[in-house]
Amino acid sequence: MVKITYIAADGTDTTVETQVGNNVMHTALSNNVAGIVGECGGAMMCATCHCYVDEAWADKVGAQIDGEEDMLECAAADIRPTSRLSCQIKITPELDGLVVHLPESQE
Amino acid sequence: MALAPVNTEIGMVQLTHDPYPIYRKMRTQTPVVRVEQIKRTFVTKAAMTRMIKDTPEVFSSNDPNTPMEPAFQAHTLMRKDGLEHRRERMAMQLSFSPKVIKQNWAQLYRDITQDYISRLPRGETVDLYKDICGPVSARILVHILGLDGATDDQMLRWSQHLIDGAGNFGWDPELFKISDRANDEMNAHFDGLIAHHIATPNSSAFSVMLNAQNPIPQSQIYANLKIAIGGGINEPRDAMATILYGLLTNPDQLDEVRRQDAWGQAFEEGVRWVAPIQASSRLVLEDTEIGGYDVPKGETVMTIQASANRDEDLYENSEEFMVFRDQNPHQAFGSGPHLCAGSHIARRTVGEIMIPALFDRFPDMSLADPSKVNWRGFGFRGPINLPVTLR
Ligand code: HEM
Ligand code: FES
Repeated sequence: MVKITYIAADGTDTTVETQVGNNVMHTALSNNVAGIVGECGGAMMCATCHCYVDEAWADKVGAQIDGEEDMLECAAADIRPTSRLSCQIKITPELDGLVVHLPESQE
Repeated sequence: MALAPVNTEIGMVQLTHDPYPIYRKMRTQTPVVRVEQIKRTFVTKAAMTRMIKDTPEVFSSNDPNTPMEPAFQAHTLMRKDGLEHRRERMAMQLSFSPKVIKQNWAQLYRDITQDYISRLPRGETVDLYKDICGPVSARILVHILGLDGATDDQMLRWSQHLIDGAGNFGWDPELFKISDRANDEMNAHFDGLIAHHIATPNSSAFSVMLNAQNPIPQSQIYANLKIAIGGGINEPRDAMATILYGLLTNPDQLDEVRRQDAWGQAFEEGVRWVAPIQASSRLVLEDTEIGGYDVPKGETVMTIQASANRDEDLYENSEEFMVFRDQNPHQAFGSGPHLCAGSHIARRTVGEIMIPALFDRFPDMSLADPSKVNWRGFGFRGPINLPVTLR
């Protein structure tokens, strides 16, 4: 199992456990973590799963994939260099302890 | 495993009149069923419809056997998969995004809504479906798409003719003649606007598509505009009429919505309760399995989101209009790569602006006679009249 911590815009944090192979969006949804909507189900077509990867984890998580940047431009909240679509972050053993910050709004 | 059971009784007439009792029975008895008269396999449970939409590798949108191509005179993004679909969709998506809506359009939506509402006669009974729901949706879309100069009547007519053509499964040549004429008119209108949008770039979808660094072909720009016309008027119109009906026939809920300013939740419940787009089709690309039944390659499945939205596994009292639900994971906007491109626009315009503005101006409006409201539709559904007394 791998631990992931979601920090909401108001500072409250939620830590949940998930399996390698899952993604950061689905993990949030199946654990009722508020602040991630994931309306398109991970098809990279909605940008309602936007998150900011914690600086300390940015390198391990890696860069946006092809097409992600265009979709992020359509997100509701500000985009930063650490912005990612959480449905495109696959859980690997190296990401145990990952911290992501959630934007104020997804819609 | 076995093939899905076959239903020989159900046809277009019953489904168009009232599909909900039929779907309720299907969910409990035959959640995957081949409906002989429609020549499609109906899937009515939420987990299954979502799985189908989220698995485009097996369940393709690229079905060449639909009347959509002749109706739109194009192979449109709605009927494409993969990278080709993404490229055409992303060419206009920015115009429909929350930031652009907020910065460029929100005030305009409010002004347009106020303009139309202020013309309504207080004390009289008017058909809001005809006088407000349709025209306001059309007017707003003219701006979002950049179709300067198009009248409400033109927009409403084009939209209806495209939809009638796309639903022409009987392949009646007369209907295609009508959609052809609408296409001619739209093409001429679009042709006349290109120079303007190139000379003065703006955030409308037409301008954004034309001025892109690496634009999609003009044929696909036109096809995208037509898809947005076909999808951007009737659905918000039907959603609005449905939500108004729900609130006006449930005064306790209306009071609570007012008190909590919960218009957004009322919107979500309205589109859950009667999904404006009730069903979508997908072509099965390889032999597969749904809910324990074999579904062969070449079959067309209908994901019935209308039914998914009333699935007892997800909702208590699923047949009822109940704004204050703990969770509302409805599929009224679909899921997967073809998730509605206009969902933010619909939520802002209908949910946040149009409905509260109406109740603001006419706080005591009432349905003249709820039993006089007629509902219709299988593929698309909503009331077709909404006589409301304005007070
Ligand atoms: C309450 C209002 C609306 C509802 C319920 C709705 C529903 C839907 C649904 C269910 C689909 C997916 C169809 C499928 O999976 O095959 C869809 C697609 C689409 N909608 Fe909407 N829609 C609404 C409003 C709008 C508006 C206002 C626009 C225009 C700006 C719009 C533009 C589109 C487009 C372009 C697509 C095609 C997306 C694609 O194929 O990638 N819709 N809509
Ligand atoms: S869930 Fe839609 S883009 Fe990630």
